[in-house]
Amino acid sequence: MAKAMQLNTMGRKLLLEKAHVEGIRYFDVYRREGGYRSVEKALKTMTQEEIVEEVKKSGLRGRGGAGFPAGMKWGFIAKPEGVPRHLVCNADESEPGTFKDRYLMEFIPHLLIEGLIVASYALGSNATYIYIRGEYAWIPDILEQAIAEAKANGFLGKNILGTGFDCEIYVQRGAGAYICGEETALIESLEGKRGNPRIKPPFPAIKGVWGRPTVVNNVETLAAVVPIINEGGEEYAKIGVGKSTGTKLISACGNINKPGVYEIDMTISVEEFIYSDEYCGGIPNGKRLKACIPGGSSVPILPANLLLKTAKGETRLMNYESLSDGGFATGSMMGSGGFIVLDEDQCVVRNTYSLARFYRHESCGQCSPCREGTGWMEKVLLRLENGEGKISDIDLLWDIQSKIEGNTICPLGDAASWPVAAAIRHFRDEFEWHVTHAAEAQTRNFGLAHYADPIYVPV
Amino acid sequence: MVQFSEEKLAKVKEIIARYPDGKQKSALLPLLHLAQDNFGGWLSAETMDYVASLLQIEPIEVYEVATFYSMYNTKPVGKYVFEVCQTGPCMLNGSDNIIAYISQTLGIKVGETTADGLFTLKTAECLGACGYAPMMQLGKHYREHLTKDKVDAIISECRTAAAANN
Repeated sequence: MAKAMQLNTMGRKLLLEKAHVEGIRYFDVYRREGGYRSVEKALKTMTQEEIVEEVKKSGLRGRGGAGFPAGMKWGFIAKPEGVPRHLVCNADESEPGTFKDRYLMEFIPHLLIEGLIVASYALGSNATYIYIRGEYAWIPDILEQAIAEAKANGFLGKNILGTGFDCEIYVQRGAGAYICGEETALIESLEGKRGNPRIKPPFPAIKGVWGRPTVVNNVETLAAVVPIINEGGEEYAKIGVGKSTGTKLISACGNINKPGVYEIDMTISVEEFIYSDEYCGGIPNGKRLKACIPGGSSVPILPANLLLKTAKGETRLMNYESLSDGGFATGSMMGSGGFIVLDEDQCVVRNTYSLARFYRHESCGQCSPCREGTGWMEKVLLRLENGEGKISDIDLLWDIQSKIEGNTICPLGDAASWPVAAAIRHFRDEFEWHVTHAAEAQTRNFGLAHYADPIYVPV
Repeated sequence: MVQFSEEKLAKVKEIIARYPDGKQKSALLPLLHLAQDNFGGWLSAETMDYVASLLQIEPIEVYEVATFYSMYNTKPVGKYVFEVCQTGPCMLNGSDNIIAYISQTLGIKVGETTADGLFTLKTAECLGACGYAPMMQLGKHYREHLTKDKVDAIISECRTAAAANN
């Protein structure tokens, strides 16, 4: 019975099912394919509380990276008398390896707009903002066209569908700052300031943009509200496994045959995801898998042997629980779903250096451990990569990352520390080889070494 | 003198109307984009002061924002700015070679502009196109799956467009 149910939900698509229908970008086609039903259902037949309740029942977890239950976040919003509330959509997608929200917005923008209308109604937001990273410069045109079409058809603007609910959606472009994906930095940026994160509490749900109660949700999270309302929270929660309910968009990249955005139902194995033709299609040129960063650049990198199986020898699955099985010692995280594959020819030291350079560039500079530490890690990693490092540099790196983690206002400090820590934890001998074989390390890579060897599991 | 056209001023008004009364500073990022597009691809002190006057805020409030975000140019740039992503997934797919090739072809280092003022080469951190690597931003759009041949084609496309506009 359980088996049969699993088969039924296998490969189930809730977000991208219609993404390839010709003309789905435009209102008429989207509506013909069943679009905006959730707005009719929610606004005409449900109270705000009932919608929040459905989202809670669905088990939907924030798709931006943190995985916090979305319904609970909505439940926190303060409702002081006479103070407007706002919904802000976080479309500042900037975590290296992540390009799923872009895909949704480019190809099926009405799905996001539909989710935004329902969520705006549930939260009581009459002015909702989409904060999109500035580099996605062509996407605001697509979104603004979708908004205009929705408005022309009575789904936005004044007195939507005659229910008395008013809502406007505005698109705001950022201007190049990873940190603005952090919700309080995003709010600062939306207020026309530098993207320096705020100290929490107060949380945005109490005091957000312009001091008003605010909910910030990721694009994919808001799009998922549509199937949740259409099918009901309980039905949505039946897809997936454990606390990984529903479907998740994975953006796959690096050394794979078929990079792209895939919708998975979180019951498939990591191995199937990498090697099946339905997804990544394996590794080019018959190369072997060396390592993978499964959830965006911030999450721990894993060697092949710990990626495909957990330390307990169980098959690792593409979901929140399984990817984090073993904690940071032997596991990683689902994160934002940015799935980066490294083949046997890649150098982990160089990859770690590249990511450290990214975090140094993106540190807002507000907290000393992050501002100073990210620059320091980049310098030491470059030294090691160039064969000019010492063995003590590896311990120095460990020391620096441990002093950034947990000591900053926002999670960027942790995000910068984890990739360095995980690289040293699992690939220490590769780092050491860059010191002991400094000249050779400039002419060839360490290679696959033992990183794909089966791990001994005591019985 | 730096001054938006009537049409652009109407756009400015429309943008400011998106925010609550008295919160017009929220329009700063959109206005800086508009200004940069309008006044030669970069933000001079004069341009930033003008934006400050439009929003009735202090010039320093504009400078601190303009210098924080990587998309705002506080120095003049070439007519075509190649911003090549060099982060993680792009690096795994050979972005270093693309940067080196552009540098060699145009005879400029990263951060420099060609003598004819046509091209600027910059590196960028993750542009969210990891599955289509290596890639770069050129104006409003992305150029993806870059190869040496594609780079050559983009350079000649820019030269042709520049010649046609002169």
